Amino acid sequence: MSIIREHTAATLSDAWRTINIDALDPDSSSNFDVSTLHPPQPEITEADVRQLASQVRQLLRGGDAEGALRSCLEAPVYNAADALAAELALQTVTEVLQSIKASEMTPMLRGIYAAPGGSEGLDVLMKYLYKGMAATSSASGGSAPRTPTRMTPQPTGLSQFSGRPGASAESTGGAMSVLLSWHEKVVEVAGLGCIGRVMTDWRRV
Amino acid sequence: MAAPEVHHLFHNPIADHSFSADRRTLAIARDTTVELYAKAGNTFKLIDELKGHDKTVTSVDIAPSSGRIVSCSQDRNALVWEPSPQGYKPTLVLLRINRAATFVRWSPSETKFAVGSGDRLIAVCYFEEENDWWVSKHLKKPIRSTITTLAWHPNSVLLAAGSTDAHARVFSSFIKGVDARPEPTAWGERLPFNTVCGEYMNNSAGWIHSVSFSPSGDALAFAAHDSSITVVYPSAPEQPPKAVLTINTQLLPFMSLIWNGEAEIIAAGYDCEAFRFQGGAEGWQLTGAVETKSRPGLGDQREESALNMFKQMDLKGKAKDDTQLKTVHQNTVTMLRPFETSGASVKKFSSTGVDGRVVIWTV
Repeated sequence: MSIIREHTAATLSDAWRTINIDALDPDSSSNFDVSTLHPPQPEITEADVRQLASQVRQLLRGGDAEGALRSCLEAPVYNAADALAAELALQTVTEVLQSIKASEMTPMLRGIYAAPGGSEGLDVLMKYLYKGMAATSSASGGSAPRTPTRMTPQPTGLSQFSGRPGASAESTGGAMSVLLSWHEKVVEVAGLGCIGRVMTDWRRV
Repeated sequence: MAAPEVHHLFHNPIADHSFSADRRTLAIARDTTVELYAKAGNTFKLIDELKGHDKTVTSVDIAPSSGRIVSCSQDRNALVWEPSPQGYKPTLVLLRINRAATFVRWSPSETKFAVGSGDRLIAVCYFEEENDWWVSKHLKKPIRSTITTLAWHPNSVLLAAGSTDAHARVFSSFIKGVDARPEPTAWGERLPFNTVCGEYMNNSAGWIHSVSFSPSGDALAFAAHDSSITVVYPSAPEQPPKAVLTINTQLLPFMSLIWNGEAEIIAAGYDCEAFRFQGGAEGWQLTGAVETKSRPGLGDQREESALNMFKQMDLKGKAKDDTQLKTVHQNTVTMLRPFETSGASVKKFSSTGVDGRVVIWTV
């Protein structure tokens, strides 16, 4: 085989297309940590979340559901130290959401939205809603042995959502219906921009 | 308010558009060509096609006084089209990039233009007399991702760039021998090439779709994919800015924005219509849509007879035809440009988008 034929065979093949040229470029995004693009978030430990949770429960017991919701949204758990802390935060928010009556949702959301920084607060709420939906749907899917008991609705809080009979019987379905009705109300108040922001945002709960 | 002037050119997306200074010639980036339209009566007629790129043309700009057209494309090239009696003559620009060119704009002085690219850099191009060609210098640091948009400061030295790394940056593109030494501004005093005069991001780090300096150049606005616009007021060189104001909206993200004076911004995007923002260094707010929905002859031109209703139900299974949006643009607006200005304020602006329409709005 002549050198020329060998050469053309090598250059005419498509092998060069599969070379990952980004790996060879020291400045390319595959060679630096993308998280360095954003300012770092403080790490939140499980103890911090527990403290917040107990504070929120106290407000709930005192009947101040709006205050409880606000304090959840003002301190979003973005950079949880471990999975347990993140789950605990989600559980706390879900508890608050389940304790609020359907008729109180919209006025409460409007109040939060009108307050300074309120749009940010509803974005945080939306993040928790999506996270809650992901958790409940994977739990009801049954493939992953998650802990569906964590999402069990409070027997007192769910009665007002009994749009369909027996909703409280299946716990994950009940939790999902709460989240869905909140989702609808949040979009009503904060618009589609809120969903876009949650999808864009690099800070995840 | 006068009704908008609508020109439906074709059924393809328009990547970018630019009017000549006399507003009688319109350059449109369509697919792999730049199409030139001339005003004939009340319509725009195709007069020329500038063919030179072999991939999608991403951006086009006409220099107002020289009449030169610059275009850039995903084929990694930029071409300068020189007007001549025989038509437009293309000159290739040495960009030295190995990713798509995404955005191009002439500087107000028209001696330079800047090309943004997917190669994480901006090529600032100027004409070298002795070699008789356009050469480029690269603005590289600290860009970490594709440049999506560029805007020039009125002094032709400062350049704002938006990127998919969620940062809007202000650079100096000072080139010795081409630029006169600029007056010091709030952005910086001494400005050697590639000085980073400012680096801003918004809270949720969305991609930047559009940047724009205010008419005085003393404020910078940018729109990002988190449905927000952010306005930055610098205080002094090397100092933190006086104010960075972010307005989150309930709308879909904005793709393009322009200033109307120092106290109004017009932005449009995925909601298919333009919105106004008003404010100043103390705060900004969304004040409403530019388009008036109650315009006569919009949507209700079809007769609402019983016969028509049953006909619709028979043909389409529904009484109302809801395939039309209520807005003039029927798809995302991707580019806004001032059309007619008086001083700092915009009297008319033009918009193009994915629906192939060019619309001229009276503010």
